[in-house]
Amino acid sequence: MAERIVITATSIISALGRGIAQHSDALINKKAGLRYPIHLRTKHASEFVLGEVTFSNDQLAELLGLPGGQSGYTRTTLLALAAMQELMAGADKSMVADDSVALVNANTVGGMCSVEDMYLDFISDKPQGDFIRYIDTLDCAESTLHIARYFHLKPFMTTISTACSSSANAIMLGARLIRNGVVKRAICGGCDALSRFTLNGFHSLKNVDKVPCRPFDATRFGLNLGEGAGYLLLEKETDALARGAEILAVLSGYSNTNDAYHPTAPSPEGDGALMTMQLALHNAGLSAGDIDYTNAHGTATINNDPAEGKAIQRLFTSKTPVFSSTKPYTGHTLAAAGAIEAIFSIMALQQQSAWPNLNFTTPMNELTIQPITEVKKMDIRHVLSNSFGFGGSNVSLIFSRA
Amino acid sequence: MMQPAYISSASIISPQQHFEDVGFLEGIKTTSDGILFVTEPDYKKYINPVAIRRMSKMLKMGISTGMNALQHAGVDKPDAIITGTGRGSMIDTEQFLLNMIEMNEEALTPTSFIQSTYNSINGWLALQTKCNGYNQTYVNRGASLEMALFDAQMLLHESGKEMNILAGCFDEITPDYVKVKSKVGYWKHPSPLSTDLFRHDDTPGTIAGEGTAFFTLTNNKNRAICAMPALKTLQDEQPAGVIDAINTLLTGQGLSMADIDVLLCGMNGDVRQQAVYDELFKTTTERTSVTAFKHLCGEYDTSSGFAIWAATQLFTSQNLPDIITIKRGTHEGIKNILLVNHYILNSHSIILLQNIQ
Repeated sequence: MAERIVITATSIISALGRGIAQHSDALINKKAGLRYPIHLRTKHASEFVLGEVTFSNDQLAELLGLPGGQSGYTRTTLLALAAMQELMAGADKSMVADDSVALVNANTVGGMCSVEDMYLDFISDKPQGDFIRYIDTLDCAESTLHIARYFHLKPFMTTISTACSSSANAIMLGARLIRNGVVKRAICGGCDALSRFTLNGFHSLKNVDKVPCRPFDATRFGLNLGEGAGYLLLEKETDALARGAEILAVLSGYSNTNDAYHPTAPSPEGDGALMTMQLALHNAGLSAGDIDYTNAHGTATINNDPAEGKAIQRLFTSKTPVFSSTKPYTGHTLAAAGAIEAIFSIMALQQQSAWPNLNFTTPMNELTIQPITEVKKMDIRHVLSNSFGFGGSNVSLIFSRA
Repeated sequence: MMQPAYISSASIISPQQHFEDVGFLEGIKTTSDGILFVTEPDYKKYINPVAIRRMSKMLKMGISTGMNALQHAGVDKPDAIITGTGRGSMIDTEQFLLNMIEMNEEALTPTSFIQSTYNSINGWLALQTKCNGYNQTYVNRGASLEMALFDAQMLLHESGKEMNILAGCFDEITPDYVKVKSKVGYWKHPSPLSTDLFRHDDTPGTIAGEGTAFFTLTNNKNRAICAMPALKTLQDEQPAGVIDAINTLLTGQGLSMADIDVLLCGMNGDVRQQAVYDELFKTTTERTSVTAFKHLCGEYDTSSGFAIWAATQLFTSQNLPDIITIKRGTHEGIKNILLVNHYILNSHSIILLQNIQ
């Protein structure tokens, strides 16, 4: 049997706040982070609620001791660094100083949040200006490099971009890198900042709701976009025990599959999602009956929820354990979502509480199951966390009580 | 120690030739414009005819190259699809971004937004091959394809049964991209004739390029063109550290620099990025032929795809064309090829390839 991979540190920033404590408080007290944006410069600012992090770029820079203004740091990078600061504050620096640690970051649009405001300068004949500092920031690896440089890491470094499943993939890759002996530990997660590019992109697909989203509800219309970052420290259980680290949870299973159905829509009966969840269970050596809580992808789009809901029904047959989508809290944070929801799953294990699916009122005709709407204190041994993306990129992770 | 991955097919679209062309670097294409654009094949044989009409150049390039690589390997349905790209579909990204700005965030259509998503080619390849297996996209600048290949090697290592993995890369160049990056000194001004690039390695800047490369990787040695026993990427490393990493990688395979027949170098003619190669040349022996490739494909995040394809051609032809040769060594035959590539934003990759015939 493969050695157990455990999580020994987590860190998070989202519309719910900064740090595990603020997120715990929000989840327990059903305080959603959705509101009209004040930092994103979009003409739709008073039209769509978003999961925007409350800090401005200058406030984030100040937290990090970095220069404010147009100093070359994109909001994506600032969010990544602000989240990572929490993780690194508790980490033994010597433990993560060399390439025995992997940094697996995930991201969907890199520094688009900055580039979109400067692009006309980029392509103008102007040779100089503040925009110059942002010319190399569009690609996804920008934030990864900044994490390494800011925290003086020399890691095995890579960046994943598989749309909404990106950081779930990062966690899975981290575990595989450890199991294959490539690294001893892995810092895995993802970051994304709100941008007009993604807001208008999803809006052009007609799947953004103007009011708070309603996953698994008959009246759902679409998702709310969000932003944030989340990171987890993974290592072998024996290594964690040897250094006396607190084990937050076990990453007991993972799987990555592709729907091979449609460029943006899931297979309507949930075939792809079902296969992903089944393979994750198989990988964990668990059966469906072992799962106590499912943190669903639950975007509240017209297409996702029936497909995922049917897959959940098919997986669990008559005894579906409690499930919910936490996206009404944070919005859909895209490449950060897999990591943020992994952390919510770990918090569910630690607090023995399943998180509510806010805004649910009306059951869907297509489904016989309904999400929970209140915090449910219960015995939780195993949590299933789903992340499904464009391009049919599906990932399921299973976290178990330490 | 990880088991080697075996390459059983290699297909490219490049500025020099594409997967339907026969021969190896015959009839070299040059430019003095500083941009080496690909020559495009007829895509219709490889892509769903209904879907192809709305597809941008990058999607057509990536999907067709992937499908061609599978055809050459005799694989209908791969077990996994793993890609790396530095920039994804630049044309779609630029188009959606400019439309959004010009239309003031109103009345936008989603096609270019969807296609700008970095994993869209992966999704299409999965759809066309009905591959439900592992699917992954790395977007990590000069170490994107490298991570795709490394992940493939790990998957093969993890698997107890025979597997065929489609792994590849794709990047395209646009006039706006060239203009934008010229502001931070990426390119040579004035641009030399592309094939004269290395005669101008005393000045800053390089020439731009683009291309796709897809490989079928397997753990079945009998199907292989060559083996890929080891690969390493480095970021923000000094030349001495890169040389150390090369020696460590080779030692791990029971080899040293004296065993390398062909050194494939990613020199791009930029004087600021030459130091690592100068250090490397101090470690080569008479045996080793020193070769280069970016005067043929230009500089881009995943240019090592072109180089690995060239290595497969060197193994099968056992012939070293003059156009890539900087120094001809005394080796007999071509068994060990070492690819050392540096990309503009200070990333290095080291890949060992071995003939197993």
